[in-house]
Amino acid sequence: MKIIEKALKEKRTSLSEYEAKQILASYQIPVAREILVDDVKNLMNAAEEIGYPLVLKGCSPDIAHKTEKGLIRVDIRNFKEAGEAFEEVMTAMDGSQKAVLVQEMVKGERELVIGLTRDPQFGPCVMFGLGGIFTEILKDISFRVAPLEKRDALEMMREIKSRKILESVRGMPAVDLDMLADILINVGRIGLENEAVKEIDINPVIISGNKPVAVDALMVLEERKA
Amino acid sequence: MRKKAENMKVLFNPASAAVVGASDKPDKLGFHVMKSLISGGFAGRIIPVNPNSDEIMGLKAFPSLADYNEPIDLAILVLPAKLIPGVFRECAARGVKGIVLITAGFKEIDDPGGADLHEEIAGIANDAGIPVIGPNTFGMINFHTNLNASFTPEFSRLMKGSVALVSQSGGISHLLGFLAMRMDVGFSKIIGLGNRLNVDFDQMVDYLMGDPDTRVIMLYMEGVDNPVRLLETAKKHHGKKPIIINKTGSSAKGDQASRSHTGSMAGRHEIYMGSFSQAGMLAVDHTEALLDTARAFASCPLPDGPGVAVLSGQAGPGMAACDVCEARGLKIVQFTEKTQQKINENLPPLALRTNPVDMGPAWYDASAIEKIAKAAMEDDHVDGILFMMVFASANVDALKGIRGLLEDWAQRKPLISCILSPPGVWDEQIKALEQSGSLINYPTPERAANAMANLWEYKKMQTR
Repeated sequence: MKIIEKALKEKRTSLSEYEAKQILASYQIPVAREILVDDVKNLMNAAEEIGYPLVLKGCSPDIAHKTEKGLIRVDIRNFKEAGEAFEEVMTAMDGSQKAVLVQEMVKGERELVIGLTRDPQFGPCVMFGLGGIFTEILKDISFRVAPLEKRDALEMMREIKSRKILESVRGMPAVDLDMLADILINVGRIGLENEAVKEIDINPVIISGNKPVAVDALMVLEERKA
Repeated sequence: MRKKAENMKVLFNPASAAVVGASDKPDKLGFHVMKSLISGGFAGRIIPVNPNSDEIMGLKAFPSLADYNEPIDLAILVLPAKLIPGVFRECAARGVKGIVLITAGFKEIDDPGGADLHEEIAGIANDAGIPVIGPNTFGMINFHTNLNASFTPEFSRLMKGSVALVSQSGGISHLLGFLAMRMDVGFSKIIGLGNRLNVDFDQMVDYLMGDPDTRVIMLYMEGVDNPVRLLETAKKHHGKKPIIINKTGSSAKGDQASRSHTGSMAGRHEIYMGSFSQAGMLAVDHTEALLDTARAFASCPLPDGPGVAVLSGQAGPGMAACDVCEARGLKIVQFTEKTQQKINENLPPLALRTNPVDMGPAWYDASAIEKIAKAAMEDDHVDGILFMMVFASANVDALKGIRGLLEDWAQRKPLISCILSPPGVWDEQIKALEQSGSLINYPTPERAANAMANLWEYKKMQTR
């Protein structure tokens, strides 16, 4: 992957959210529509193209947990709001490679987490669980060692305590489990095919309608000695 | 490698066993190993080796392995660590097929000299193709050949059966062994892996899958260097014999320094658990569940589905069983109309007549009980039966009344019970029914229901 090689050459240990999602997309993982901008003119074009309401996020390889750092503005309804949010986020960031990600606001009540960790004994392992703010609090998660077969992926979904969230609940449709299974399988493939990827967090994966969409992503790198 | 696998068969079925470091002083482990072999009834030749004695426990002793001219299949070593490399070379020269290395003081000690010794003897054993159980183990027992190659003679009191235990802990092996004696669980083999010189979980699973005496494999694991090898071995034998595994270490923390949520939440335990299920092994979370589940596997067929009938002599124990069933994914099914009609004909409307069935009001009529139970057991919706009955002075003959039914049923569908009386009242009857293969009994409704749930869990793994 060119993105990973470039980052390693720059001695970086993680990818920006935008870069991470490009890799996800290249593995057929559905990601939120987004455009990276670094000035107001491009912001205008991007906002037009994506359409309101929007989400603006500070984007740089140096930032991992954006919520804690106040670098996310949601539900932006018009260009005036977008402009203000852009200035605030740009000012709040330090570092050289700063930019702002203009993203569609994916709507959905259900948030999941999908991740990958490279274990010294097992190799790449895929995680599935309840996402958003509940990930750390409830730790309702399940692991499998890559490569995953479809049945492994489906079992992971059945294994979490909050599995009912995937069913048809409170007027929301049942989640497309096949699509979710494919995402889990492909996250495992990213780990198997890219030695330098140490960890991945896709959190949240928001269920929009019945389809999962990767809304935020973090990819941690580690140069492997041959 | 191939030679080592071939030699493994001889290791467990030797025609002769030498005890190097044999002793007749009870403060030496060599004394207890000799006692295990002799009192365990090993039919092969026993060869005590000790340079300072002519005779040990009435058997002629030899100064060294080299002084004994006949073939030696198995060598059990109970000597200080520093003498072990020399004895390993003698074993290789004498064509010994297997070694049980009880001695401690190798890789597991702080002194780096231990690791060096470990490497040295591993080299000798691997070159000669000798499988080694240990070091730092209590030994191993093959119950079907009366071979007790351990320092605990009392292991020989265990019943012969079809459950094998492979354990990384000597303490847990003893605990499970003694618990099994109290629970009448029959064993085929117990193997204390100790510090795994060249025999690890994967090789044992490979061997036991081909062992005709073993039907169920229990693993007790603390941690291994290469878990992937075990997973691959288990996958290779998928569906052949159930593997039940208990792994400690759930309290270990994830990587706290990790920058991602995934990394910080990935405790080794969560990954181990996921991988076990991927490999088709049934993980249980405590030692008692290991035995409870193994007993059920050894005595019952697997249920075809999650549907359970709960037949209870009293309402309470039935309810307790139902709670576990619900929580563990079993279904308390609705009976077919035909079944329900038969139950209603034989049970007055004084108690629960749907599932769970409270058979209390029919206790004095053995034929009514038999008709009720049989109708429920034969119901098409029912895949497994949980049978609860607690003693009361007035129902003392109830167990006798259903004996014929249980014997005729002969585990056609899995039937798991919790039948309990004060000590001595029903114990012998229960034991006889268990030995005839018609019953598998647990002391609480929860344990009975969990055993059924584990059968179903495993069945799902096989058919996925």
